[in-house]
Amino acid sequence: MTNAIGIGLLLSYLCILVAIGVYGARVSLKTREDYFLAGRGLGSIAVFMALFASNITAFTIIGHAGFSYETGYGAYGYVIGWSIFITPFTYYLVGYRSWLLGKKYGFATQPQVFGGIFNSKLISLLFLVLLLYYTLPYLVVSIIGGSLAFTTVTEGMVPYWASALVLIGISLVYTLPAGLRGTVWTDVFQGTLFLVVAAFLLSAVARALGGFSEITADIVESNPVMLQRGLSEELAPINWFSYSFVNSIAVVVFPQIYTRILAARSSANLKQVSMYYPIALAVIFGVSTLLGVWGSVAVPGLSGKDADNIVPLLIHQFLTPTWMVLGLVVVLAIVKSSIDSQLLSVAHLVTDDFLPRFKRINSQQAVLWGRLLLVIFAAVAYYIALIRPAAILSIAGFAFSGFSVILPVMIGALYWPRATAQGACAALILPSVALHLWYLGVLPEWTTLGFMPVFPSFVLAILTLVIVSYLTPAPSPEQREKTFGLFGQVFK
Amino acid sequence: MNFKVRLGLVILIVLIMFLLHNSFWLWDLDARVPLLFGFMPFAYSYYIGYTILAVLAMRLIIGLAWPDPPGNLFEQSGHKKTTNSRH
Repeated sequence: MTNAIGIGLLLSYLCILVAIGVYGARVSLKTREDYFLAGRGLGSIAVFMALFASNITAFTIIGHAGFSYETGYGAYGYVIGWSIFITPFTYYLVGYRSWLLGKKYGFATQPQVFGGIFNSKLISLLFLVLLLYYTLPYLVVSIIGGSLAFTTVTEGMVPYWASALVLIGISLVYTLPAGLRGTVWTDVFQGTLFLVVAAFLLSAVARALGGFSEITADIVESNPVMLQRGLSEELAPINWFSYSFVNSIAVVVFPQIYTRILAARSSANLKQVSMYYPIALAVIFGVSTLLGVWGSVAVPGLSGKDADNIVPLLIHQFLTPTWMVLGLVVVLAIVKSSIDSQLLSVAHLVTDDFLPRFKRINSQQAVLWGRLLLVIFAAVAYYIALIRPAAILSIAGFAFSGFSVILPVMIGALYWPRATAQGACAALILPSVALHLWYLGVLPEWTTLGFMPVFPSFVLAILTLVIVSYLTPAPSPEQREKTFGLFGQVFK
Repeated sequence: MNFKVRLGLVILIVLIMFLLHNSFWLWDLDARVPLLFGFMPFAYSYYIGYTILAVLAMRLIIGLAWPDPPGNLFEQSGHKKTTNSRH
């Protein structure tokens, strides 16, 4: 770690982030739309990198590699296979129609879009509560995961509490002054950096282990189970099928992802993003899978949480100090890019959808409130990350599933003119309650019919929306016209 | 082609992609298919192919059912009014 080039690289990286924050603040207008949505002017590369960087967390390079270490090549398809197609598809399915409504009516968040479609303050409030409820624990877990990774990569030189402080502190340096524009610019920089460095890291590890073919030959000989999905209990078909409903379809529901879609400049930008997104996901998870599986040959005998350390261990064992610093930069980039976007999105939700219920806030005041809330949420998240309460961690354990079961209401609202506010309310509340009852063990396990709880909850959301909507009066023609009249002019 | 028909084709594409992801009947090939480029087993290289297919599928969906908004759609926009009313 004392390598001068490495330290120089690390300092350069931090200086670039600070410079982005300072410059972003200078060019930003002090308005709500500019601070939270970058003036709805993001081009293709900016939207692409912003979505990709916000989508990638410490799990990608740490947790997924650990999972691949234990389960083999099948981990690739299990975790990211369906996402490769369905995540960009949801950018079309939900993203484009939401973008049209946002552009037409000035909506900037999910509570505004879906509260607006149903003309219901209750729907708006339910979206706000559910999104905050699942995003905050997810934010804390991102900080915990990132800080542990940072501490491991620095071999304990930076203790856990300091790692968390560094991660949050650096995120605030550019997010606080420049808002979404600051996070997006750093996403472009960091996203490029971690794709390039991850590819180099893979080839460096491969060289150190004797080459691509040599490593695979070792695996075929010593642990052929790593090649066969059918032999893994973890990857059993019912789990494989259920997992299709966990992370892949949840992504577009994350407020930090949804807001970035609304910030796109044009339809053409979203099309380009959706078309090339599969490649970026496949590359980063492909690298992580190979590092994990190869690690099982290079550093055998790890299990559970120890297996999650495989990437830092490979870096230490096989790379030079300069590479180690680059590896550290990649971990920092991946973790921070999700923390900054989550922090900004919760501050945005509270500023735009909670405070106006009590107080009239003009555009400039909204920016001030947004900054204040960023600091408050950062401080609270830091404190919770230090004490790591079990309740928060258990909510985060099924946060992805929680986001997933919100999706049927979003699709119903955008595609089905007969959907009613009552149907949407019931379809937001019932599946979330059921999900909690399953995860807390109140409902017996057999009631899921062997699937992960997310699948029956997802089906319950669809059924509830349809049944309750048909049992309640149809929306008024004026209300339908506002949404579907607009879509009718586009989708002919 | 009517938009509803095109949307139906999009749903068909999604179902095919879902089926190709949950292709458990192909798992036997994990042990039988030789390594691609000498280092990529079937369970891994299958998803390289799936990625290429996903790009093509998205290209097809964009062509079928993703029209750009007409130029005047946002001209009489409620945006300014709505945004101001929230301020």
